[in-house]
Amino acid sequence: MILLAGLAYSTDSGVVQIYKNATAPFDNESPVDADLSLPIKFVRVSEKYQGGDFWTETRKDKMQRFSCSQCHNNQPVRMAQAAEIAHGEIVLVHGSETRPLSCYTCHSKDERDFLVTEQGVKVDMDHPYQMCGQCHFRQKKDWVGGAHGKRISYWAGQRVVTNCTACHDPHSPRFEKRWPKTYSPPLSKTR
Amino acid sequence: MTTKKPQKNDPQQAKPHGRREFLKGAARAAAVGGAAMLAGCGGGMLGSSEELSLRWKEYFKKNYRLMTQAEKNATIRRLERLAKIKDGVNIQMSSAAPIDGVLFGYAFNVTRCEGYMECVAACVKENNLDRKSNTQYIRIFEMEHGQMSPEVGNAKYFHQVPVEDHFYMGVQCFHCENAPCTKACPTRATWKEPDGIVVVDYDWCIGCRYCMAACPYYGRRFNWNEPQVPLKDMTKKQHYLGNRMRRKGQMEKCTFCVQRSRAGRLPACVEACPTGARVFGNLLDPDSEIRFVLKNKKVFRWKEDLGTDPKFWYFID
Repeated sequence: MILLAGLAYSTDSGVVQIYKNATAPFDNESPVDADLSLPIKFVRVSEKYQGGDFWTETRKDKMQRFSCSQCHNNQPVRMAQAAEIAHGEIVLVHGSETRPLSCYTCHSKDERDFLVTEQGVKVDMDHPYQMCGQCHFRQKKDWVGGAHGKRISYWAGQRVVTNCTACHDPHSPRFEKRWPKTYSPPLSKTR
Repeated sequence: MTTKKPQKNDPQQAKPHGRREFLKGAARAAAVGGAAMLAGCGGGMLGSSEELSLRWKEYFKKNYRLMTQAEKNATIRRLERLAKIKDGVNIQMSSAAPIDGVLFGYAFNVTRCEGYMECVAACVKENNLDRKSNTQYIRIFEMEHGQMSPEVGNAKYFHQVPVEDHFYMGVQCFHCENAPCTKACPTRATWKEPDGIVVVDYDWCIGCRYCMAACPYYGRRFNWNEPQVPLKDMTKKQHYLGNRMRRKGQMEKCTFCVQRSRAGRLPACVEACPTGARVFGNLLDPDSEIRFVLKNKKVFRWKEDLGTDPKFWYFID
């Protein structure tokens, strides 16, 4: 009787209690009888989330002129205005107005195919979260856990998430102001 | 006659000599008569005899929850064939059952949403929503900082977004665990599935709109006209309880894209969101993203005091 009374006065009830009671691990590998394969390339993230290993989509194969060392190889470039042609479209709006970031805040001077952290650790271009997470550590924690960024295509199966640079342009990471994709009719008509 | 309270998982719910059985008998008798008439007038006006036969059988099928798997398969084949005959379109319909150990939950990040409405467009496309009346399951409210309820927000905005000092809040069906809409339905055409999705058996809906009045979240939509979807834009992968074509006078609503979510995929709105404001997953999986949000973020539910127990949380970064 006391037990029942305790249940009745518990602050959590309904679905909150249902999910809090669910502590047994869920077989995420094969919950559904469907093909969960992804047609994209992905790499394993160097950190683990609460469920173990997870993966993120690659970046190097999506960069138009990778690898960088094709041009940045200490050889003279035999082309006029090469820098404008290669990187003229980059608009750098990152960091505060008083202390903006520059190219070499992230890109390695010595090994051009890599990024480099503030502590001088080389970072592969497929793992930009290691760079972003230096300042945006709260966002990175949320990204690892699943509150920032998004999974690709499936909620079930192998956990593959978008990379930071899939949504944010690393050179000007803020989303732009733009027109909405569609509009809503007045509420009274749809009801 | 004593009325027995229907038991869950009881296939023998239908009374052996009930109204439904009587109607079936009457239907058979009428079918014989109808066939004789059809032979008399050539059948040109009523479509092919195959179409007539299929539509006749469709008219007397059971409520989805009372169907055996064989009956579900049969009605799906009929609906696929009817779509082929009527519109010449090849659809693949599913009756995928809920997955064991799965309870779907949804979280919406009000800090991240920028009001681009990509989700709305994706939802309209995926769920074959009526283009004529511009039916949409999702509404995005533009709200001033400090406002807490979408009821004071602006859902009719049409300008460049995001606007300074505003945030955006998406509202759709919350798939309440204690859903008032299912209790209001006089024909039991709407119910909560074991994986938490509130669905409608469109063919059992009589269009009384009691559920619409019962929903405190404006989560349901009514077909005032025959829904119109261009064939080239129609989503062909359909589910009986999901995005199959509705008719005039039937109720419909967000189903967490049941045709996708039961196949392991994310709902169309989640997949389309360009800012990652939408989180979807299994509430019973302690490692899932949705559980991470519920554990680590400041979450709230809209009109939680009503006791509807929605499985849709808002959170802030």
